[in-house]
Amino acid sequence: MGLLTILKKLKQKEREMRLLMLGLDNAGKTTILKKFNGEDVSTISPTLGFNIKTLEHRGFKLNIWDVGGQKSLRSYWRNYFESTDGLVWVVDSADRLRLEDCRKELNALLLEERLAGATLLVFANKQDLPGALSKEAIREALALDDIKTHHWSIIGCSAITGENLLTGVDWLLDDIAARIFTAD
Amino acid sequence: MLWFVWQYVYTCFLRFWLKWFLRQITGRCELQRICANCKAGAPRTAKAEHSLRSSKSTVLRGAVDVKEDAVENCVAQIMKEKNIKEQSDPEFKVRLRQCLMQISGYNSLYVSVEELRKQGFDSENEAHEQMLLKLWNLLMPAVKLESRITKQWGDIGFQGDDPKTDFRGMGMLGLTNLVFFSETYTSTARRVLSHASHPKQGYSYAIVGINLTEMAYSLLKNGALKSHFYNTVPGKPQLQHFQQLFCYLVYEFDKFWVEEQPESIMEFNLYREKFHDKVKLLLLDPSITLILTVEPKN
Repeated sequence: MGLLTILKKLKQKEREMRLLMLGLDNAGKTTILKKFNGEDVSTISPTLGFNIKTLEHRGFKLNIWDVGGQKSLRSYWRNYFESTDGLVWVVDSADRLRLEDCRKELNALLLEERLAGATLLVFANKQDLPGALSKEAIREALALDDIKTHHWSIIGCSAITGENLLTGVDWLLDDIAARIFTAD
Repeated sequence: MLWFVWQYVYTCFLRFWLKWFLRQITGRCELQRICANCKAGAPRTAKAEHSLRSSKSTVLRGAVDVKEDAVENCVAQIMKEKNIKEQSDPEFKVRLRQCLMQISGYNSLYVSVEELRKQGFDSENEAHEQMLLKLWNLLMPAVKLESRITKQWGDIGFQGDDPKTDFRGMGMLGLTNLVFFSETYTSTARRVLSHASHPKQGYSYAIVGINLTEMAYSLLKNGALKSHFYNTVPGKPQLQHFQQLFCYLVYEFDKFWVEEQPESIMEFNLYREKFHDKVKLLLLDPSITLILTVEPKN
């Protein structure tokens, strides 16, 4: 039994996961977090710094980190990489002008060594807006099919209506659980 | 547990008999005693509000939701219900009217603040655009804005090159607050902005302003600002009184941030909570008034 196996067993006992939620500013990260937690989402203001929420879902204890996305804060993202099990990348599907920016930031993250083992969930958010791109269009714009280093999936969702948030998080949990809790 | 039992027994039985007993010996009902003995402002209005809310009579309970134009009528109804003669206690009517004006005023202030909050920033709306440019000109009189969409917005603490998405859940309430502070206390606002622009200990001025708008809004919504408004505005508080409170929060938050010297902007929420707790504690004092007093040096 190697050290890694022991560590995995320890983690299994706690059934604890650390999720890191990133994306450009105004992507809807805080709204997703609050909606998922059943809180009011009508009075949110931009995130300076970060929010952290610990919640129980399907018997897992989730520590979700929601870090502000404005340009001046992105250099701080690295401070939150350590022991991340799942990376949630949130995209404003209606913000066509910044999709290229969005692709670059995501690509840079995927090169990070400390995120190498993390599962990637892309939320194509704001599907409720009339001008929103479909999740297929986002998948293409972010060149997700080129990603070979991480398990990934893209889900179209709306943080305001709550549509598909659960589907996304459930996929993420299943993938992480299959990786870290059942391996020996 | 014991406390709840006591509360239950008190509100259901004891309070009634205590009031009855006091009424027999003083010859006055609870509202009269409050109006006669408590100082004007929160000590009187908050007690009267509590008394009305816990009353068995629907006329009295309904008075806490009275509209401004129905106050006069409501006072008359209460006096009739409680059998109070104007001649025997001439002050009572005037004082009760003032209490009700303050109570209904607080409620209608919330309604107008909520209306403004729900109004999103709209780039197509000329008035909204003008207000945004006004904010720039007030804060940065020496620098010309190169175009409407520019990185320069970052200099006054917006997130990207177009502030329109930064107002979010606070809508036009956030922008009007920022403009009000910059217009009413121009030199102070610029000094606060200069602290916010510090390369290490700085913070995003406009975004913090929007966050503090949210703080002021939620304090108003949950009733925490009642004492403050009852003490500072004798009648019905207006939007500008809410904006004055916002100015107090921005000024005091800046002072707090500079004193605490946080490691970086990433600590914002931690210090925001500390500051929030500090304000909530102050608001528990029935004699509280949160008024911005600019210190000359700072």
